Amino acid sequence: MIAPKHIAILGAGPGGYVAAIRAAQLGARVTVVENQALGGVCLNWGCIPSKALLAVVELGDKVKKAADYGLTIEGSVGYDPVRMVARKNKVVEGLVKGIATLFKTWNIEHIEGTGELLDAKSFRVAKRDGTEATVQADAIVIATGSSWPNLPLFPVDGKQIITSKEALDLGSVPKSLLIVGGGVEGCEFASLYSGLGTKVTLVEMMVSVLPLEDEEIASFMARELKKRGVELCTGTTVEKVERQPGLVRATLKDGAVVEVQQILVSIGRGFNSKGIGLEKAGIQVGKRGEILVNDRMETNVRGVYAIGDVVGKAMLAHVASAQGKVAVQNILGHASKVSYNLIPAGIFTLPEIGRVGLTEQQACEKVQAVGRNPDTDVKIGRFRYAALGKAQGSGDVTGMFKIIADAKTQNILGVHIIGSHAADLVHEAAMAMHLGATPAQVAEMIHAHPTLSEGLMEAAEDIEGMAIHLARKKS
Amino acid sequence: MYPKDLKYHNEHEWIRVDGKQATLGISHFAQDALGDIVFLDLPKVGAAVTANQQVGEVESTKTTSSIYSPVSGKIVRINTDLKDHPEVVNSDPYGKGWIAVIELSDPKQVDGLMTAGQYEAFLSSQKK
Repeated sequence: MIAPKHIAILGAGPGGYVAAIRAAQLGARVTVVENQALGGVCLNWGCIPSKALLAVVELGDKVKKAADYGLTIEGSVGYDPVRMVARKNKVVEGLVKGIATLFKTWNIEHIEGTGELLDAKSFRVAKRDGTEATVQADAIVIATGSSWPNLPLFPVDGKQIITSKEALDLGSVPKSLLIVGGGVEGCEFASLYSGLGTKVTLVEMMVSVLPLEDEEIASFMARELKKRGVELCTGTTVEKVERQPGLVRATLKDGAVVEVQQILVSIGRGFNSKGIGLEKAGIQVGKRGEILVNDRMETNVRGVYAIGDVVGKAMLAHVASAQGKVAVQNILGHASKVSYNLIPAGIFTLPEIGRVGLTEQQACEKVQAVGRNPDTDVKIGRFRYAALGKAQGSGDVTGMFKIIADAKTQNILGVHIIGSHAADLVHEAAMAMHLGATPAQVAEMIHAHPTLSEGLMEAAEDIEGMAIHLARKKS
Repeated sequence: MYPKDLKYHNEHEWIRVDGKQATLGISHFAQDALGDIVFLDLPKVGAAVTANQQVGEVESTKTTSSIYSPVSGKIVRINTDLKDHPEVVNSDPYGKGWIAVIELSDPKQVDGLMTAGQYEAFLSSQKK
């Protein structure tokens, strides 16, 4: 009998743990080294905890409108940050245990400790219990992730200057908070904290929040944040930070001074590629410190693979998982590649955003690049939540669907949804794009009534001005 | 519907000039076309505005639309009551539903705007 291949995986985040399970499913013997909780940043200090907390604000937002709905609530409604965090921790612990259970059922060995490569086939582990171990493997997968912001301008002390890690363990609700960075994380925390009653100021260097999103969606989000009372300072940066007892003073580029109780740094994640022995194994890194890999997720050293945030592609949990599966499939003889052109993503602001494919701006540039006219060749269909019966019934009327299509090829180039359940809804669009469906085919498919999904059908119809529940447009 | 003491802009804003200052709002036609107004994104006090450029946004249950400034100048006051009561723009577009006060940098620009009569003629020409 041939002994099964032994795969050693460094890191058990959404890349590493998924790679481990897939490898075991394919018959490998698997060892995972992780010095912190299973599930990585995503499960312990990112995606999941932030959703657990945002869910409370979402509930609170509804409860505040209870009287409008005809629901009588006696007494006052308020947030209890200690219990919110306790619930969040319970959610996280349950999911972490779930991974441990999966590991057991697949006989995956989990070593608690910090690994460092010795060469392309082995690494040394400084175990949490103080002992050392050496792991020998046929192939290695590096899934060490990314690091917390550590910028000289913002010396994180965990109290006055914090990262998302501390922001998810709020012991009390700060009176005021300055969020540096208006990207996904910054906007999510702006939604969360403004919901809890904190006076939030958000500073973004680019001209708008969510600078990587479709401009129409980003400006929709900006309006929603303003409705929540968030002060947006875009097109500027923080130049100076002074810490004083009970107060942090930030001076912006335009001279404005913002005094707050806390600063949340939502920019500048780095790559965890230092101190893991890459140089000993001869593994190449790029300018930013990211590990360089090919589309099979293999590094320049044969048999050593890298996945997730540390390779610096799309820094998303679900991309790490996809890369993890691809890496071990390749190791075990099932050739596969990662396709980066169709990655749906959710932004868990209030309201939520779901997106897949190109933004309108990217679509126009793409068409223009091949000498075509974006004014005629990029078609847009839109539909607002307010015109959906389901949205009116549930009271979730804020939001819109936007489909971007190529008029010549009939390809759907991108879909952007903002509103309730947007991150879930976007998957119908992603599937349509994955299977090469046209907007007409999306429109043709019967959508159940009354659902939010009807919005995608109507938006697809709107591309040809044929949405049923839109007023006739002036020609 | 269209008070005679106001000047109108083809993007459906009005201004009421008082010396070097002009109060800005949206017309009856605009509020009616928008439907129930739920939010106004107002400019900041002190911001410079340019004639025919966007100064803010108005969101209704149906759509979101830009608010243009008919004149150039500087925002000296904004109607903060609209934050909690955007619906007054529907009910009283020329009174409590005012949006901002602009200090005019070029008062001559006012002459280029439409009178109430001209605006009504403009609206009926748009309908055809």
